[in-house]
Amino acid sequence: METATPSLLELQRAMRESLVVHDDHGVSAHVVPGGIDPAERLDIYRNTFASVLTTALRLSYPAVHRLVGAEFFEGAARIFIEAHPPTSACLDDYGEEFPGFLSDFEPAASLAYLPDVAALEWAVNRALHAPDVEPLDPLRLAALGEPERARVCLVPHPSLSLVRVDHPADLIWRAVLEEDHAALSAIDPGADSAWLFVQRLPTGVEIRRMSESAWSFTSALCTGRSLANALDEARDFDASALLADHLAAGRFVDFNLMQHPPDHTGNIP
Amino acid sequence: MTRQSTSPLLPARSGRGSIPAEAGVGLRFRHHREVLDEHPAAAWFEVHIENYMGGGTAPATLDAIRRDYPVSLHGTSLSLGSAEGLDPVHLARVREVVGRVEPDLVSEHLSFSVAAGNYLADLLPLPMTEEALGIVCRNVVQVQDCLKRTILVENPSTYLQFRHSTIPEWEFLAEVARRTGCGILCDVNNIYVSACNHGWRAQTYLAALPAAAVGEIHLAGHSLRRLDDARTIRIDDHGSRVAPEVWALYAEALARFGPVPTLIEWDTDVPPMAVLLEEAAKAAALIEEAESGNGNALAA
Repeated sequence: METATPSLLELQRAMRESLVVHDDHGVSAHVVPGGIDPAERLDIYRNTFASVLTTALRLSYPAVHRLVGAEFFEGAARIFIEAHPPTSACLDDYGEEFPGFLSDFEPAASLAYLPDVAALEWAVNRALHAPDVEPLDPLRLAALGEPERARVCLVPHPSLSLVRVDHPADLIWRAVLEEDHAALSAIDPGADSAWLFVQRLPTGVEIRRMSESAWSFTSALCTGRSLANALDEARDFDASALLADHLAAGRFVDFNLMQHPPDHTGNIP
Repeated sequence: MTRQSTSPLLPARSGRGSIPAEAGVGLRFRHHREVLDEHPAAAWFEVHIENYMGGGTAPATLDAIRRDYPVSLHGTSLSLGSAEGLDPVHLARVREVVGRVEPDLVSEHLSFSVAAGNYLADLLPLPMTEEALGIVCRNVVQVQDCLKRTILVENPSTYLQFRHSTIPEWEFLAEVARRTGCGILCDVNNIYVSACNHGWRAQTYLAALPAAAVGEIHLAGHSLRRLDDARTIRIDDHGSRVAPEVWALYAEALARFGPVPTLIEWDTDVPPMAVLLEEAAKAAALIEEAESGNGNALAA
């Protein structure tokens, strides 16, 4: 029988095992029974842990929840929570790995579009909770000289996400949340790639479809490619007009100047 | 609701800020719109810090509400009892919200919720030991230094005790206040729940708390869970009106602490604002009684 007094650190790690992976052996010997089995006492905390996190997932993934139903969602959530306990005490951050988890989750394999809907919902969640940041004043860019302008890398607004999906996740998402059964039954959920752009506006979260080339250009800007290089690579559309639109809509908040201009391959030396 | 706050003869309470000694209401998202549009007659509001950590609609709404009401920020996940220390990223986010809202009060719990880097989504009980006392005090001091203000520390409801505890919880909490200068958020419902669950005497708990340190009182509903063999355990679920026994204990707390800002908390199946205001009015009536009682005592 374990009777040695645990340090606080040891006891807290044992409580973690009890709550996350349901292993009470490190903690139950230290609990006063008081007429109730320690496991029953620990169950109260275990239930709160599971239900708080399941609720957090349901709030971030409302369309997935409706698509699979409450019982299925709860079962999937319990398995997910055990494998991915939160590493942040701010629950708006919780569940980033859920779309990836769903794509490997055998019982959901028949719903091929589900991970795409989840990926879109995570982007919406990010957009809802991203910090408020002042947009970049385009005059700051205009004030740069030609050599500096060639070295500009833009910093995207934290609410902005670019999501490429293999199924019409945006149409499914909208129809499900609006409970538009006619629209939902009209959607062909089969393979149909879409290039989505998600952003918080003062009026709410906007999800917009883009052409593949416009999406690739925007994605290059968001992942730190130089503006000059991204403009060079843009084909089949008016990249300058799209850039002006991005700036006017406040989708970028700052810029950095690359130390060295890109070489002819576009790589930063 | 228009009553003036405490008599100038009463001692200043640690960490009280400018929350009036009146009954406030815990503000949840479902009432945001109503508060902005209809301006209900609540004396003050308290919100959970974690719900306002990003940008977007929620913090913007709180900014607007803050202009019209005193606001208290209540934390549920700083994990003051963590042996591994506080999460610096989380503490920085708390500081950011406190800097933005400039609340009248900031409070947290005598519990832990983080272990091995995982957030365990509940207010978990601490062993009441000298080691834990030292760790809680170290963490409270770190928070107060970071926020550049004192905080209130609240007693949680607990469903288990540890064999190696050596200090009664009420003495532990009083000692945290004495060593760190923090105030105490006395949750009367939690005292009642823990006292029933562990066979403590609630009056002993109240009597051990230094009155001058008590800066706020919480009231909420709890539920009675029946286990097999007719055994029961009380669960602090914040999902109903305040129980009659808790109102009685609240009157005793006011008699001991004097008029203290009091909050009605409700988090599960949040009812219409009118129900919350009814509960707040009951608390306000008891505060008023305590005020006149206290006035007599001072005049005597």
